Amino acid sequence: MAPVNAGKRVKGVQIHRPFIYGTTARPFNDTDNVRPPGVPADHTHSWTVFVKGVEDTEIFYWLRRVQFKLHESIPNHLRTLDAETISKENETKPPSKRQKGFAVHETGWGEFEITIKLYYDSKSGEKPQTLYHHLRLHPYGRTEAEKEAMRNNGTGEVVAWTYEEQLFNEPYEEFYKILTTGARDKGTPAPGGGGKGKGKGGKVAAAEENNVKGDVKERSAMIPLQTRPGQPFSREAEQLEIKRIREGEEKVQDMILQMTRSHKAKEAELAALKEANAA
Amino acid sequence: MSSDVRDVLNLSVEDRPRPAKRQKTAASRPNLKGLAREVQNLGGDNPIAIVPEISSFKKRRLGSRKPAARWKLAPFRNSARGDGLLLKHWKREADKSSGQDGPANEHEATAEKQSEEIEDSEFAKFNVSVNVPQYSDDQYNATLTNKDWTKDETDYLMETCKKFDLRWPLVWDRYDYALKMLVPSGQGSGEGESDADPNSAVVPTPKIRTMEDLKARYYEVAAKMMAVQRPVQYMNAAEFSLHETMVNFRPGDETKRKAYAQSLLGRSKEEIKEEESLLIEVRRILARTEKFNQERRELYNRLDYPQSETTQDLSSFKTSMGLQNLLQTLMNVDKSKKRKSLAGTEVNTPASAGPSAHPGSTPISDHRRESIAASTHRDSIGESSRPERPAKKGPQQPERRKLTEQEEQIYGVSNHDRLSSGPTFRFERINKILTTKSNAQHQRIINTLAELDVPARLNMPTKAVVDQMEKLLNQIVILLDLKKVGDKLDADIKVEQVKKADREKRNAPAEPEKKGGADEAAKAGAPATESAKADAADGAQQAGQNGDAGVKQEVAEDKMDTT
Repeated sequence: MAPVNAGKRVKGVQIHRPFIYGTTARPFNDTDNVRPPGVPADHTHSWTVFVKGVEDTEIFYWLRRVQFKLHESIPNHLRTLDAETISKENETKPPSKRQKGFAVHETGWGEFEITIKLYYDSKSGEKPQTLYHHLRLHPYGRTEAEKEAMRNNGTGEVVAWTYEEQLFNEPYEEFYKILTTGARDKGTPAPGGGGKGKGKGGKVAAAEENNVKGDVKERSAMIPLQTRPGQPFSREAEQLEIKRIREGEEKVQDMILQMTRSHKAKEAELAALKEANAA
Repeated sequence: MSSDVRDVLNLSVEDRPRPAKRQKTAASRPNLKGLAREVQNLGGDNPIAIVPEISSFKKRRLGSRKPAARWKLAPFRNSARGDGLLLKHWKREADKSSGQDGPANEHEATAEKQSEEIEDSEFAKFNVSVNVPQYSDDQYNATLTNKDWTKDETDYLMETCKKFDLRWPLVWDRYDYALKMLVPSGQGSGEGESDADPNSAVVPTPKIRTMEDLKARYYEVAAKMMAVQRPVQYMNAAEFSLHETMVNFRPGDETKRKAYAQSLLGRSKEEIKEEESLLIEVRRILARTEKFNQERRELYNRLDYPQSETTQDLSSFKTSMGLQNLLQTLMNVDKSKKRKSLAGTEVNTPASAGPSAHPGSTPISDHRRESIAASTHRDSIGESSRPERPAKKGPQQPERRKLTEQEEQIYGVSNHDRLSSGPTFRFERINKILTTKSNAQHQRIINTLAELDVPARLNMPTKAVVDQMEKLLNQIVILLDLKKVGDKLDADIKVEQVKKADREKRNAPAEPEKKGGADEAAKAGAPATESAKADAADGAQQAGQNGDAGVKQEVAEDKMDTT
């Protein structure tokens, strides 16, 4: 499928795009998540598996198709979603209801591993890649407290989202152009003629002027500054994580220090013993 | 003729159509100043060219008399001054509208006004002060710590910068941190400076800061605080370029630049002349080498002709003498050929030139020639092989737009030396680290991570996080290795201890009076227990070796797994 005439690869360049994949599950209840008619009686949850951009930015310009491979017991377990069809459907919908990512809604009773296959834009000339995600229906966590927190997060939703960054190493020229043009503020309509062409520099600059509060731009690799409800991935979260890892690293370094110290003592002891034994 | 002349001559008015005439004169008459109308009319159709110059200001003045403008000595204040000094200056008084109300009223009103608002000097607006970066203690500790600078001194630097509006020569001149320490402003001594108590007799000799030091520190702080307030990718163009310049400040380069400038200014006339002549010399040398290289390249091209000879005997061409000879012969051959080539056939291509050359082998020999050339003359091969690449890249380079650094941030573009092309995921790198380890090692790492309360699956695998995680994992691997070494040491110690106990047991029955000290005992018992000891030592060594070998094997296994 890779087009041969895609030109040359841009050497030494890596471009990344953040995105989120995962599942959101809710148990059926009588109030706000009533079991729809026709759903088997043993199904306990409704769930959604999705691949979408950070801050609900559009990702169709680099992700052409996503195939979700569900459990084989589910009818029609291979679900393939095309960006093109989604875009077409979106045209008939009001802007607020437009779909920005790839999502499959299902009901069920058991957890299983979902295989997510990502097909990139045809101009990228890249082979599809696979991700694996474990569908979570029940609260999980390493401790009871975490589970409890998940259970009581207000809606009863069990959220298992994963942040990931798609790296395009040495993209083809054409795809490089697509990935490095057309950034604009959210909500502004796409400039006519898609994402290529000259004169984008000016638009980017104009967009920068408006960008005061640090919003994420469409078609960019940016992630939001602050964490907000429903958008857990941000610079803030990143900093927290770095801090946590750094603390871990410090602990390990301490341990290493201690260990080398005790090693020295042990070596000295051993040498003394050996000497004593040899004498 | 004008009407006046007509009047004088008593001509009848009706002779000529009057209105037309009048209009004409009215329209055409130039407006001459200082001349009575009658005199002017004497000129008739020919206007009077020379006009006596009569200064008319007195008259005019009388005509355009207006009430003289009122000026007033008004006090003003300059808000740029800190002391609120009240000065007075002459100022034209209020406009006409208020003047019509009546002089008395007006006066009172303006007086009131003046007292109400003493105006600010127009020049106060030029008193702008620079915005020196502000930081809190936490921010300082988080991002700004520098082993060369204490917080106290940084504060002092910022203060000085503000005081002198970032005029660096001034800042540098007045910068005297030691003095400031001698005159303590308060107890708030920085964490690092706590021992530098001004009361103590020993005054620490402060570092002598050059202007570049000061600048470097200031820009460092300013850039970091900028980035803290707004991450780089969200800055607008102006902010970004400012940030870039501050980040890229290299004090060393700056010092060098100044030194250069200094020496450049301090040259004498002779030195300037000498330099110029040297420059010319250099240019000439360069030109010559260029020419030389060119010739040499041609020579190598020519060398490609005779294959059979050169492949057999290369050594003769490795010396410059040999090359010279070859060149000579080739030149001779070439000359005769070139004469032919003038007729229009291309000769210089190696394939068609050499009579002995069979086309299939030429590229190979080409290669060989180049490698030979590389071994003898590196520079020329470098030059001759280089043009190939730009030729390939030539067409694609202009196509791609150069991204600014900010755009690279926005689009997430980064440059790497080595990349395996194709799409991957960021977390893949961590995954690879983990999965390339052996199962046992993997499990151990996971356990250690759990101990540290760091989840193995990162929440947000961004570049920064992954880099950090990689560091952590490396540390953990080191820790695990250390643990292994520790276990080995423990085992060894145990072995030795057992041996010691063994030996003591053995020694004890042989020499019951072994209480006077180990040395004496050893000396006394040396001849008697020599053989026994030798045995024990042998055993110990063996045991140690065994232990060593065991651990070594284990390590080796691990290494096998990791590779």
